[in-house]
Amino acid sequence: MNSPTPQFVPSRLGIYEPIHQIGIWGENFKSNGNPNTSTSVIVEVDNKLENESETTSHEMLTASNNYEQEASKPIDKIQRRLAQNREAARKSRLRKKAYVQQLENSRLKLIQLEQELQRARQQGLYMGGVLEGSHIGFSGTVNSGIAAFEMEYGRWVDVQHRQICELRTALNAHISDIELRILVESGIGHYFELFRMKSTVAKADVFYVISGVWKTSAERFFSWIGGFRPSELLKLDPLTEQQILEVCNLKQSCQQAEDALSQGMEKLQETVSSTVAGGPVDEVSYIPQVATAMEKLEALVSFVNQADHLRQETLQQMSRILTTRQAARGLLALGEYFHRLRALSTLWATRPPEPSLP
Amino acid sequence: MQQAIPYKSWPLPCIDATSHRARSTTTLGHNGRGKDVLNIVSENAVIVLARKGCCMSHVVRRLLLTLGVNPAVHEIDEENEAGILNELGTICKGTENNKMVQLPAVFIGGRLFGGLDKVMATHISGDLISVLKDAGALWL
Repeated sequence: MNSPTPQFVPSRLGIYEPIHQIGIWGENFKSNGNPNTSTSVIVEVDNKLENESETTSHEMLTASNNYEQEASKPIDKIQRRLAQNREAARKSRLRKKAYVQQLENSRLKLIQLEQELQRARQQGLYMGGVLEGSHIGFSGTVNSGIAAFEMEYGRWVDVQHRQICELRTALNAHISDIELRILVESGIGHYFELFRMKSTVAKADVFYVISGVWKTSAERFFSWIGGFRPSELLKLDPLTEQQILEVCNLKQSCQQAEDALSQGMEKLQETVSSTVAGGPVDEVSYIPQVATAMEKLEALVSFVNQADHLRQETLQQMSRILTTRQAARGLLALGEYFHRLRALSTLWATRPPEPSLP
Repeated sequence: MQQAIPYKSWPLPCIDATSHRARSTTTLGHNGRGKDVLNIVSENAVIVLARKGCCMSHVVRRLLLTLGVNPAVHEIDEENEAGILNELGTICKGTENNKMVQLPAVFIGGRLFGGLDKVMATHISGDLISVLKDAGALWL
């Protein structure tokens, strides 16, 4: 390796990685793996491009090779080359910026397209087609029940969003209590509508409801017996002293009821599990065990119904305790919360993939 | 197993000191009849009628336990179910709901209170504790 002249010191000593995005930035960056011929290539490293070293163009390489052979080239040529190097690096950075911008735009478009696709799916364009894979092999009635629900639920979410916006506008506009009451009633009624829909589809396929595949992934994370926890409804303020006591009691009752249902579910799991596992393992036939287990699983439908019933009762009790305005705010907060969970799910689905380790 | 205390001769107020595990469960065998069921119902301040191995009755029990009530539980065999429900249906015609009695069924103070639905709703609205107190199932 030739030692560099004292006038300048290369910032990187012949160490640079081949850049693979050839052609994207509109220029060919060729890399020469032989350290001996490139010791005097000056690499200007920008702060933002920490792990990349940029080489000069092929022309520059030849020029520097020439330089190497004749050590006595005049200084101004060196300066010119330095300037050209800087210019090339600057252009490269600008191109990269443009490229990244393009990527971001495409990403946003992708998110929007996926959301549209999701909505289209729910409107039945994919009815009978690929319904989450797990439904392949189910009877026609089950599939149609699920398809109908998915369609209705898609509409339900849209209406929900509209109601939330209306509530927000109404609260900011300070409309009369009577008008606000109407909005509150329709908001609560909308949730009751959802419980009715769920009850119907639970009869068709209770596992579908419990699994929560009909919800977005972030909502599913918080799922409790096929829906949100009733105690989620009780994030409220501000409250009068009397209300604080009442809400406290409601919270406690709600929690107790939730716990009772959870324990019932555990008992059901134990029962089904021991039924399925029962009987001699040496026997080939397991039909009796599985058949009995199926009967026990029927109870799951009741659990879904009871959980929804609890959600309903909690909503109603809340609307009794609160003033119209507070109830409106509560409904707005609840609807907004689920809306944000759905947004979180979308964002999560489009996060950049983990970089693969070398 | 704890013996069910007759409702009419309820002792002086004492804190329910029985452990939660010792619940009074009675099962009527093949000789079970509606009349016997009615006796048991009237003998207990709180009793839950349920099918054997019903997980919903477990839910009702747990909920009542958290309130400090140790309900008697009466398990019904499948064979006797129809007969018993009929008997109960005729008796309960006087009350508001003419619907068929659904299991699990909760009886408070010797009268049909309702199913899990009713218990949950009453609990959420905050009235369950007073109902239980009136029936003498709770003293606090």
